[in-house]
Amino acid sequence: MFSFSVLAQVFVDGIGLSAIYILIALGFTLLFGIMRVVNFAHGAFAMLGGYALYFLYGNAGLPYLVAAPLAALIVATAALVLERLVYRFFYQKMFQSMIGLLGLDMAIMYLAVIAWNAEERSVPPGTDALMHVGTLVFPEQKLIIAGIAAVALLAFFLFTHYSRYGLAMRAASQDVDIAEAQGVNSTSIYRLAFFIAIFMAALAGGFYAQTYALSPFAGEPQLMIAFVVVILGGMGSIPGVALGGLLLGFANSFLGTFYGSATSIFVSFGAVILLLIVRPWGLLGTREA
Amino acid sequence: MSKQSTIDSGALHQGIGPRKLGERPARRWLTHPAVLAVVVLALIALPLVAPDKFILSVAVTTFITAIAAASLHLIVRTGHVSLGHAAFMGIGAYVSAIATMQMNLAFPLALTLGFLAPAALAFLIGPVVLRLTGKYFVLVTFLLGEIVRTVFVNWSSVTGGSSGISGVPAPSSLFAQPVPFYYLALAFVMVILAFIGRLLTSEIGRTIESIRESEPLARCSGVPVLSTKVAVFVLGCGLAGIAGALQGHFVHYIDPTSFSVDQSLNLVVINVVGGMYTLIGPIVGTLFIVLLPEFLRGYVELQHVFFGIVLIIVMAFFSGGIADIRTLFTRLSQERDTRRGTR
Repeated sequence: MFSFSVLAQVFVDGIGLSAIYILIALGFTLLFGIMRVVNFAHGAFAMLGGYALYFLYGNAGLPYLVAAPLAALIVATAALVLERLVYRFFYQKMFQSMIGLLGLDMAIMYLAVIAWNAEERSVPPGTDALMHVGTLVFPEQKLIIAGIAAVALLAFFLFTHYSRYGLAMRAASQDVDIAEAQGVNSTSIYRLAFFIAIFMAALAGGFYAQTYALSPFAGEPQLMIAFVVVILGGMGSIPGVALGGLLLGFANSFLGTFYGSATSIFVSFGAVILLLIVRPWGLLGTREA
Repeated sequence: MSKQSTIDSGALHQGIGPRKLGERPARRWLTHPAVLAVVVLALIALPLVAPDKFILSVAVTTFITAIAAASLHLIVRTGHVSLGHAAFMGIGAYVSAIATMQMNLAFPLALTLGFLAPAALAFLIGPVVLRLTGKYFVLVTFLLGEIVRTVFVNWSSVTGGSSGISGVPAPSSLFAQPVPFYYLALAFVMVILAFIGRLLTSEIGRTIESIRESEPLARCSGVPVLSTKVAVFVLGCGLAGIAGALQGHFVHYIDPTSFSVDQSLNLVVINVVGGMYTLIGPIVGTLFIVLLPEFLRGYVELQHVFFGIVLIIVMAFFSGGIADIRTLFTRLSQERDTRRGTR
């Protein structure tokens, strides 16, 4: 059961899952860290990303490497309307944002049911090719997902650490008032952070739809993933997301393969609840006063 | 946009946080004894006026939902919003159904078990999860609800898996008829609501309020914060179990989806939309959430979209809920005044 080839398979699966999980959770933690918004509608945007990929790649037949980023871009741009209409009223209001955005989640989910019915669809993988390394065989799709995710994460890191806007974003996350006093336009910074967060969620949603299946309800498990990863790593902590995503991705891949998906849900949720009780601010988060 | 952000020591200080001094709830008349008496008499008379099976079943659903919503309200009053409340309803429903069907226990005994089982679970986890503040409590209860639902789905030898348990018997042959069951449900809802209402206006109620307003301050004043919260949580979860058990014996069928996150969410919506500061809130919310869909039948998806938008609007503009709509108007006019003042 624990033979080398199976373990290698589990390892590659773990990398693919981790990449998706990190992308979803990064946007979630960004919105929390900067705007103090608990984005319960995060899964809904990921689900929309799945549909965008379904139409652009599955139906219109654009080349995969164009369709995936374009789908995320479309969703993120359209979401800016919601930023103006909904999110702006919830910035810096943690409690209200939770319940209000649950409402948004519900509205988007059922609008999707009305628009595209509740049927499950599948998005074809970017490539069917298999890669042979010695005696091991891996689907290239997993590696492409991990590759795109790595590029997105690297771009995000470079952006936040080496650009003026990234600096302004980090300043706003530490203290909005003082950042504003230094000339940071918090409204536009918030809009930018929102755009980036939704872009990553939608990108991840596309990959998720390819790995599992696509339906208007596909957002729920993704929201759960964002929760678990962010709690594991610590709310608002970006290195925490990387750690949490890897932990959950590998745990799910390992437990799911050997013990079934129900066990994997139990163990991961149980571990998170234990962690919350012992160390609510997460593995890499900072303790709140 | 930057008024708060430093005080978050315990309670969720904004949503259900302190209300301003001297700001009186705008719906005193709703709790006037005369109004209550009229409502109770009307409910007692309803089956005589309209012995229609459909109306009665809608009414019973309303009662059961009101019990569940009020039991969540009790917990919300301590400053904790549980997103897994339907799981406790579900435990009550499953325990009561299994007790009557497989152990052949009498209905009152099964119902008692349906109260005790979720209460016992709440007693076990309460002391641990109630130490968590605001957002962490919401997240943990959300995950707990999912875990319980996963148990319902996967423990199929006992719970019947995702197809659930059908043929849950009525409390007795008498209560298999719609009218007697209506009165049974009415009795339960009145007793439970009266009990919760009495509890909240008693000294315990004031202790609960003080915990929500400021936990550290309550602790300094000698309030046993954690044990009070655990007691309220245990009671709330037990009452939710009763609601679940009644639902099982009324619909004669239970399955995991009726106790999923969606249902938990509905209960939160009811409390938020109706208003979280008084017991009238969840009752008004229940009427809104249960009765409105009956008029929107055939447009199930649209209903959810509508509720979602209502939730956004309520949370963005008036967290006092529908029952507190007057405050919204006063606030709007105040805001207009201040805006005029600054110009």
